[in-house]
Amino acid sequence: MNFLLVAIGGGLGAVLRYVLGVWIKNNTRERSIPTAMLIVNLLGAFGLGIFFNYAYGEIPMAAYDKKPYLFFGIGFFGAFTTFSTFSVEAVTLLQKKKWIPLFTYILLSVGGSIIIFAFAFFVL
Amino acid sequence: MKQHGMILICIFLGGALGTLFRYIINIQVEGFLFPLGTVIENLVGSFLLGGLTGYILHKKLLPGLKEGIGVGFCGGFTTMSTLAADSVFLVLNNPVQFFIYMSVSLFGGLLLALVGMMLSTAFIRKRIFKVGGDQ
Repeated sequence: MNFLLVAIGGGLGAVLRYVLGVWIKNNTRERSIPTAMLIVNLLGAFGLGIFFNYAYGEIPMAAYDKKPYLFFGIGFFGAFTTFSTFSVEAVTLLQKKKWIPLFTYILLSVGGSIIIFAFAFFVL
Repeated sequence: MKQHGMILICIFLGGALGTLFRYIINIQVEGFLFPLGTVIENLVGSFLLGGLTGYILHKKLLPGLKEGIGVGFCGGFTTMSTLAADSVFLVLNNPVQFFIYMSVSLFGGLLLALVGMMLSTAFIRKRIFKVGGDQ
């Protein structure tokens, strides 16, 4: 049952990440940093912050006995956001020696996700 | 249209599998107070996606397979939202661990993605060279 919750939540999160990513790419002009996955990651961090805030009022660590945590926390928001694409896109900027876009991208992705999660968790 | 549907199914299956693997690794390291699972998953996933990216620069994959493995599996196996949650938790509870967590995730992730790319590119070049030599 737990495996199924995690897997279905993850599958849905991944599909929505792809659909939204394609939509953003088609509807925004190209910038010096890859914006599609940046926006998706920020949205996902915001969503997880809201979820933890209203469902638990704390940041649950390893709460594997809680079914909503498995479906939304590990599954949906876990898979909706991604770190591997972030790494590869950052390396691509690194290989092109685009230093300012590289540091902007890293700062906005990682720092931005942390701040937006904290905002959704503490403030809202 | 039909191909779009197939790509979405591949991404769903890859994402489900990647997320399941992430969950299984998380359970294995549950005893640790440090969120080690997410670090391992983000590093390994970056290496795999780097490898895949290097591969498809030179070789074609079956339609759907690229998205299934890359967007689905690697994307679902790694996560930024849990990284953000772990970070806020660690900043409040153990700033030293936060520093280690963040440095290893960031530098490790980028380094492993780069190594993955270089390894698969080197592997394919060697193979192309070999096939060329046989002819």
